[in-house]
Amino acid sequence: MPELTRRSLIKATLAGSAALTFSGCGMLPRKAGSNSPQQYTGAIGLADGRFAVGAIAPSGQMLWQAPVNTRCHSGCNRPGTAEVLFFERRPGWAFYVLNSKTGEQRHRIEAVKGEHFVGHGVFSPDGRYLYAPVNRYEPGEGIIAVYDSHQNYRRVDTFELNGIGPHQITMHPDGQTLVVGLGGILTHPDYDRIKLNLPTMKPALVMMDRVSGDILARFRPSHHQLSTRHVDVAPNGTVYSAYQYQGPDHELPPLVARYRNGHYEEIDFGESVHRELGNYISSIIAHPENELVAIASPIGGTALIFNGRTGEVIEKSAIADCAGVEALAGGDFLVSSGRGKLVRIGKGKPGVEIANMLVQWDHHLV
Amino acid sequence: MKRLALTLLLASSLTAVPLMAADDKNASDPTAVYRTQWHKDILAGYQSLATQSQALETQAQTYCQSPSSEELEQTKRLWLDAFLAWQQVRFIDFGPVEENNRAWQFQFWPDPKNLVARKASYLLKNEAPITPEKIAQSGVAVQGFPMVEYLLYDQTFNSSENALPAGRSCELLAAVTRHIARNGETLATDWKGFQGNYLGSEQYTDTTIRAAMAGLEILEERRLATPMGLRGNGKRSVYSADAWRSGASLIAADASVQGLKKHFMPAFSKLLNDREQTDLAKRIEQQFEEVLANFPELDRPMAPLLSDDNAFKPLQSLYIDLTQLTALVNDRAAVELEVVRGFNSSDGD
Repeated sequence: MPELTRRSLIKATLAGSAALTFSGCGMLPRKAGSNSPQQYTGAIGLADGRFAVGAIAPSGQMLWQAPVNTRCHSGCNRPGTAEVLFFERRPGWAFYVLNSKTGEQRHRIEAVKGEHFVGHGVFSPDGRYLYAPVNRYEPGEGIIAVYDSHQNYRRVDTFELNGIGPHQITMHPDGQTLVVGLGGILTHPDYDRIKLNLPTMKPALVMMDRVSGDILARFRPSHHQLSTRHVDVAPNGTVYSAYQYQGPDHELPPLVARYRNGHYEEIDFGESVHRELGNYISSIIAHPENELVAIASPIGGTALIFNGRTGEVIEKSAIADCAGVEALAGGDFLVSSGRGKLVRIGKGKPGVEIANMLVQWDHHLV
Repeated sequence: MKRLALTLLLASSLTAVPLMAADDKNASDPTAVYRTQWHKDILAGYQSLATQSQALETQAQTYCQSPSSEELEQTKRLWLDAFLAWQQVRFIDFGPVEENNRAWQFQFWPDPKNLVARKASYLLKNEAPITPEKIAQSGVAVQGFPMVEYLLYDQTFNSSENALPAGRSCELLAAVTRHIARNGETLATDWKGFQGNYLGSEQYTDTTIRAAMAGLEILEERRLATPMGLRGNGKRSVYSADAWRSGASLIAADASVQGLKKHFMPAFSKLLNDREQTDLAKRIEQQFEEVLANFPELDRPMAPLLSDDNAFKPLQSLYIDLTQLTALVNDRAAVELEVVRGFNSSDGD
């Protein structure tokens, strides 16, 4: 609801905070992984109720803000190029192709009739093909739509997921396998964001061949209402998925699962941690340099790091409305919040606020 | 955690809540006392919804068995009573009302594509009998108060050959009012059954406060600011309001504010007072009175108020009073109590 948050932002202005304040170190740490550009891009809500996509440099400067028609959710960098894509929030009727150095809009590609995007996408390792999860909403079928960036993002293929409600997609380090969080929730744009099939959901973690579209594996969570939304893969091929539980608040099921060595298993952090996560994970990131995995829950106002191998919780921090996570060079993580905060968190380092900006960071940083 | 619990215990012992000294179980959960009160107050609201919905169902049958203009008027009156009982508890967005999208079943809104009218037309044209199963399968646009409102009030529909008491329309009226009544009854029963979980889980304290905050925000933003032309394209339009067919948008707003006052405020005032926010509690209570003072003067259709700048003024007064109430609860109290409703936490993706 924009008004409430706008009000809080205005209040923050009145309280005298500068447009951008840094506490602690004045530089954002480098992003982990040498292939991605050294900047952080996210969808943002602005103080006047409008929306944009914004990028900040390691110096902490807002590099650019590109205006967008409606609230966006997440996106992806196009490997080997200065392009970053952002998708409109579900139901997403378009995605934006932006110059990642200037924010200049190169394309706005609309969804095919009868389809909408769900906020996420990923490129083939060579940066040519875009794979975007899509809801084909009349029959209620989840698909992966394939676009060719060499042909101005022409739609070139469609892969069936044989399931409902795909959400995040990522590329396995093998460069060949798409990893998809299949949320299982049926929605239709005529019916707002109403969940139309809660009793019969079939969420799954799906592995798909990016060339043939063949489904290579499908793993189901322990409860049919554990909506598998967010996914990430460590460089060693361990796959992580994060759930959003659709059952009652007082039930506290596992919220994270791991697939490695042929086994799919859920990680139980214990009841008190689960309570702090509010049955809802908005992001999961496996650090490319170590065994650590970070998750954030805006509902619980909690970000935490766990050891991906043992499942042990290593560090935990209360951050109101936190949702986005990025891996930083050196082994730490960066967490963003709907209240404009960027917080650094690492092993033995509870959250340290490194920036406080007058924008609302949306769910993901890329 | 132990230490935190101890601090909370010390803090609460200063405020001397008698129930907590008496009950060991509550000592570790100092907010259980508020949930006890909320559970009781909300149950009263749900029971009223169940009773009024039952009365509507019975009246719909009476009318369809022996149609007359008097019985039609009585059906409209009872529709409004039940609809207003729903408005009183509409802010509750957690617990049993979440199951099977019950809140959406009671009131599918907003409806920018006019699905209610489209679905009605589809069902009435169709030959298949309108059974309870048919209603259960037809989706939320068919299952609640807006569908009954359409049958009773829609001008185009009422000048068509399908207008009540036409047989098939009566069948639809009976089936939908029956569906509402069953939902009302189940909701009240389920809320009773939910007591253990609600009282036993501390997080429901914040959940309940957030529900009231969301209810106020929806009222301010979507039920008033949008039709008043203060948002979006800036055009005033009664069709953006809820219950425009019956002209009940404002009386429904009145009921929602009264519902918050009755079913939310008693425990919330107590909580604020216990946290030494006595002044704030008093200001919120006074602001509820300020908002309600706009009624019953404003318990009338919204459309004429939107089309005339002079008539618009009392609506603006209501809106300003309501924004002040929302600011007190959603900003001041929420900050004091550290209850967060954020950009991402209310997103659901």
